[in-house]
Amino acid sequence: MAALNVTLEQSAPIPLAVQLDCEAGELVALVGPSGSGKTTILRAIAGLVHPQSGRIQAGGITWLDTERGVRQAPQARRVGLVFQSYALFPHLSALQNVALVTGERGSAPRARELIARVHLAGLEDRRPAALSGGQQQRVALARALAHDPVVLLLDEPFSAVDQATRQTLYRELAELRRNLSVPIVLVTHDLLEARMLADRMVILDRGETLQQGTPGHILSRPRNARVAKLLGIQNHFEGVFESAAQGATWGTLHWGTTRGGLTVRVLDKRRIDDGARVSWVIAGEHLQLRASEASAPDWVDCVLEDALTLGEITRCKARTVAAPRDQLIVNVPTNTLREAALHPGDPVQVRIEPHGVHIMPARSASKARSATPDSEA
Amino acid sequence: MDWEAARISIWLALFTALVLLAPAVWLARWLAITPWRGRPLVEALITLPLLLPPTVIGFYLLSAFGTGSPFGQWLADSIGLKLVFTFEGLLLASVLINLPFMAQPVQRAFAAIPNSVREAAWVSGLSVWRTLWRVELPLAWPGIIAGFALTFAHTLGEFGVVLMVGGSIAGETKTISIAIYDRVQAFDNTAAAIMSLALLAFSLIAIAVVFYVGQRERRALLDR
Repeated sequence: MAALNVTLEQSAPIPLAVQLDCEAGELVALVGPSGSGKTTILRAIAGLVHPQSGRIQAGGITWLDTERGVRQAPQARRVGLVFQSYALFPHLSALQNVALVTGERGSAPRARELIARVHLAGLEDRRPAALSGGQQQRVALARALAHDPVVLLLDEPFSAVDQATRQTLYRELAELRRNLSVPIVLVTHDLLEARMLADRMVILDRGETLQQGTPGHILSRPRNARVAKLLGIQNHFEGVFESAAQGATWGTLHWGTTRGGLTVRVLDKRRIDDGARVSWVIAGEHLQLRASEASAPDWVDCVLEDALTLGEITRCKARTVAAPRDQLIVNVPTNTLREAALHPGDPVQVRIEPHGVHIMPARSASKARSATPDSEA
Repeated sequence: MDWEAARISIWLALFTALVLLAPAVWLARWLAITPWRGRPLVEALITLPLLLPPTVIGFYLLSAFGTGSPFGQWLADSIGLKLVFTFEGLLLASVLINLPFMAQPVQRAFAAIPNSVREAAWVSGLSVWRTLWRVELPLAWPGIIAGFALTFAHTLGEFGVVLMVGGSIAGETKTISIAIYDRVQAFDNTAAAIMSLALLAFSLIAIAVVFYVGQRERRALLDR
């Protein structure tokens, strides 16, 4: 059994159908749009809200079991929770904020050590109002650790700080994790943040877990169209699947809602019926862009519509010649594009690597609760 | 200057504020955080003394406490407590009509504490009682001081209810505001003027102290 196991079910006020677990030392990110129930889940784990039914076990202890009538108070749960607003005690200094939790008086050596651990030595006597957002976040983290938590919960802890501070705090969280072997649950709406920090992501929508897995896996293999949409995956299209002939490996994906348009070669894993309407994605690393040459398998003729330079990377929009409604987004190193002397309006070709194509059912199965198995072609 | 009346006024104001303090803080905190739908009704009941004429309140209290009422009779028979025209009765009336002056600033102070701060304390392992003592009360402190001072100052100046419930018994229920009225009735304008000025100065100082403390506490929270 994992260090933290959570099952929550409720119909009101916010519908929940959640199943998640987190191993000791693992960081799981809850990702979803606002109103998807991320914070409610965190609050339920902390004991601040009580779901209609559910079970929460942490460190071998049952915190909540509605069936058996077990419901521990927040004080008994040994949770470290960093609130989005930090919720520091405004009348107490940084040190006192932590010492109140460690129960120390006077010089408070343990609280002092925790303050030093979050790189705030020297600022112990400042009140929260005299600290920057990043410093307040560190005090909140020190206070959460002061409780010797068996679970650490972080509710959008980086949302209120500037970009530079955020990068520093990311690094510090990574450092902290080296010496902290408790499950960590991070709530975020920032996909990049989740991808960078999390060992696993849980995708939530309207209180329901849609998919769990490593960030890389989910981004390249979203479970269904809804997950792909929530994640904002750029190259997300519709298609019609045509099975491979008996004994053959490669099926055909007709791009669009009918057969007869552009086609893409795809691996047929015999999981999708012939002629099925599907939704498909291709991750950016499986796309290549080049100046137009003689036609070749897997290369699609396009017109470079737009090239937006974002520092080292240029974001290229390529419109397919056969079906001008469809456009592929390809990130190309800026210098590569410069060397190839490609400009908007030029004919180009985009290679769609067949291995990178991920096919999903066109309609999301709405009661998809757990992570596995992923639907693939 | 009627020193006896001044003494009674100050004792009455002090006792009223002290007796009211704990229950008003409890009630105000409950009102500040309860999600209960009947809350506006309770708030309306507490606010009522601010709106009703003092004579109306005095009349009802008189009817309720007098030996003619079952309650008044029971009090007199069982514990020998008379509430009409006595200092004890005056104190009880004063406590009831001062509830809004104490409870409202305290409720505002508790309501201004973000819920997440309270929750952060609970999640950090602090009991509800310890959270109240170490987090909520220190943060609500300016509101509690304000409520205390407002109650004190308002009791010093209360006239109608005091006259109805307490009468004007020298050394027992005659407060400074009634003494002023007596002096004016007797055309002793000099004495009335002195006492009025004393009451004015005392009230002004009390209110100024409230605002000063409030401002200092706010600054203390914002600065280090």
